[in-house]
Amino acid sequence: MRIRKELWFGFSLMAIILIAVVVLTPWSGFIDGHLGHDDLGALGLLMLALIVVAIMLGFPTAFTLMGMGVFFGWLAYRSVNPALANQQILDLMVQRAYSVMSNDVLIAIPLFVFMGYLVERANLIEKLFKSLHLALARLPGALAVATIVTCAIFATATGIVGAVVTLMGLLAFPAMLRARYSVQLSAGAVTAGGCLGILIPPSVLLIVYGATAGVSVVKLYAGAFFPGIMLAGLYVVYVIVLAKLKPHLAPPLAAEERHVDLPPLSQSLSTGRRNAIAGLWGAMRAPGLSKRAVASQLFVSALPALAIVALLIVLYGGATAPPKAVDTTGLVQAGGGIVAEEEAPMSGLAEPPAEGAADATSLQEPPAEGAASAAAATPSVAAPATRPSAPAAIPAPAAEPKSVPAPLWFWITLATGLVGVVLVCWLMSWQRLEIFKMLLTSFFPLAIMIVAVLGSIVFGLATPGEAAAVGAFGGLLLAAVYRYIAVRQAAFPNPVMATARDLGGILKESSFLTAKTSAMVCWLFVGSSIFSASFALLGGQELIERWVLSLGLTTVQFMLLSQFIIFILGWPLEWTEIIVIFMPIFIPLLAKFGVDPLFFGLLVALNLQTAFLSPPVAMAAFYLKGVAPRHVTLNQIFAGMMPFMGIQVIAILLLYVFPQIGLWLPELLYK
Amino acid sequence: MQKLLLTVDKISTFVGQAFSWLIVALTLMISWEVFSRYALDHPHSWAFDVMIIMYGTLFMMAGAYTLAKSGHVRGDVLYGFFEPRTQATIDLILYVIFFIPGVFALTYAGYYFAAESWAIHESSNITAEGPPIYPFKTVLPLAGIFLLAQGVVEIIRCVICIRQGQWPSREEDVQEVDVDKLKEMVHVKDADIAKLDEVVVSQGSTK
Repeated sequence: MRIRKELWFGFSLMAIILIAVVVLTPWSGFIDGHLGHDDLGALGLLMLALIVVAIMLGFPTAFTLMGMGVFFGWLAYRSVNPALANQQILDLMVQRAYSVMSNDVLIAIPLFVFMGYLVERANLIEKLFKSLHLALARLPGALAVATIVTCAIFATATGIVGAVVTLMGLLAFPAMLRARYSVQLSAGAVTAGGCLGILIPPSVLLIVYGATAGVSVVKLYAGAFFPGIMLAGLYVVYVIVLAKLKPHLAPPLAAEERHVDLPPLSQSLSTGRRNAIAGLWGAMRAPGLSKRAVASQLFVSALPALAIVALLIVLYGGATAPPKAVDTTGLVQAGGGIVAEEEAPMSGLAEPPAEGAADATSLQEPPAEGAASAAAATPSVAAPATRPSAPAAIPAPAAEPKSVPAPLWFWITLATGLVGVVLVCWLMSWQRLEIFKMLLTSFFPLAIMIVAVLGSIVFGLATPGEAAAVGAFGGLLLAAVYRYIAVRQAAFPNPVMATARDLGGILKESSFLTAKTSAMVCWLFVGSSIFSASFALLGGQELIERWVLSLGLTTVQFMLLSQFIIFILGWPLEWTEIIVIFMPIFIPLLAKFGVDPLFFGLLVALNLQTAFLSPPVAMAAFYLKGVAPRHVTLNQIFAGMMPFMGIQVIAILLLYVFPQIGLWLPELLYK
Repeated sequence: MQKLLLTVDKISTFVGQAFSWLIVALTLMISWEVFSRYALDHPHSWAFDVMIIMYGTLFMMAGAYTLAKSGHVRGDVLYGFFEPRTQATIDLILYVIFFIPGVFALTYAGYYFAAESWAIHESSNITAEGPPIYPFKTVLPLAGIFLLAQGVVEIIRCVICIRQGQWPSREEDVQEVDVDKLKEMVHVKDADIAKLDEVVVSQGSTK
């Protein structure tokens, strides 16, 4: 009887806490109505202990916090001046609630949540997984790698762990099992990948942390970017190495699994030449073929090369701009650099040369999705690069009088870029062209949307709230376009009307879900801000500070201890509760130990990833179990998650030893 | 009795869903504002205030709706293992000692907070000549009243559950993870999953 044991464990834990409460409560103070300073501090700690008990009992946390905050706050005021206590606590409460209502950081939460629901319902995950799986087919453990990459991108855009794990459990998990991957590895890849969304920005977790700890969300986003990519990269490396060492766990894909069907035009041309660009160029003059069709194919196949050229031109513009304009061009230049760098890890995951170059095109607009991505990219810094076909639109700084000669790094980049162009053109076979076209309609719109949202936040073009709203609008357009395509393919009589009806349904569901999720998070904030105000009033904070400092910990010990506590709390509690209730206790201590709250936030965000994967309350495992075949046991899923949890711990250690992984970008941008 | 409970549920749901459309308005408004600022070079000074008002109203008014659909986050360590009767007893006690006093205090304080604002016809002071803020402050006691009503309903539910040994029913609503809907979305059928089971079984036997 496993259930019994857990109940007993929980109850005994609660009993210990309650006994401590009874022993430590300053009863005498209650009796004569006069509480001393230390008594109040003790009350504060009791309040903390009681809240843990109440949360474990399972009452909605927001209201537990509110009720307890009011009662203990009233006690604190009463001990000072009984006559004013009622009025004071009511004032405190309403002010706190109103400050959450008018909080300009939290406003981003409903908007990002809304964007997530819209993207989820746009129904592009199927296409995304298929195209990535074909693009990565040559790698060892291709399906698992594709799963993780799909999860990373999709989860980043949606941020809803449950939905991502369920969807991937329906799509990727069967695909992996059919390819005779081991159950454990498949389960691990799906669950670990699905949780990436809470770390990689734009994530709601970082907004909640930023609002609680008073750290700039913009800096948090800039900081969490590389740790997030690093974690995803470590997962991928692990899968590849495992597949190489133990091929029976993840056998290579059969030839028919990798096969790409060519459309008739390509089919007829592919008999002549292997290279798509050369073949299409030759076909331009061939008789009997539609010029337009050939030309558009040629344009698509040349897109990667064009994108690299456009990027180089932008870089040249940045590098040689007159010093006076350094403020803005510096940003643009950094923008190009950032995008180039964030593509770098992606290309590591992709099929090396061809895809690496193809990724660079995420800077530019796929023609098929023109409307969607142009709107999504409106505030983006990448905007100058979005039109490779119109390089004339880019200001020609060389013509200006005070332009400086390009520095050495530019020439090196130029050389690499040109080599890239040659490689891309040379490697563009007919098969790759098809895969590239699939990526254009699934991977790039989403990637561009994320880059646009993040870029506009990080470069200060829009506040997180504004970027989230534009992202949500982009998500709406994505949903509209994909619905329209689906409806067209199903050959409904009136595609526009059918799309509009579908879209109405999507909007309605997404709005309702958004309202519920934001009410959940924001009411938790209302409760916790009342609670933490009372906690501070009672002097509990002071007591904890004095106690921690009296331990004489070194900074390293303190960090280990705090991360360990957060790790343990991740077992019974959800991440919202951990951040909202316990971060206010940790944050004031950080200054005493000289720890940057930004850095601490990144560590916490990484740490809370493990909360989703640690049994027995790992949410991800239960979502996967819900859609897995009957004979996949929970224990198999847990066993599959273990190595990935190990990787998370390694990632935390890496970030701790090399803080620059997280802090480099914010320091570069916001000196 | 059950009818009364469902009626209050319906009211909370209706109010919450009505206000949830604000998210669409908010998205469109901010998108337009960003477009207007960068493309038309014409920012509006009231935009920030309106953004905040819409966001605050949205989540406050959805509080009762979320409670009616039991969407507020709760620590699910032990709760899920309890019998319904135990769950109801714990909930009942905690509703009475935490929820009712807390939310009542908030509503009561919010009433005077809003009344003061009405008395002076307060305007937002974030920008000069900001929009009037007193209707927004009224949202606070209003949301409190709906929440209180829903809380009373939840208490009655607890009592019914203690009597009958099982939870009274709730109205269905959109789910965040609706497995059937997701299956339909990605064209996966239960039969496919069942077929896949053979693969898993055969894998288990070869090891």
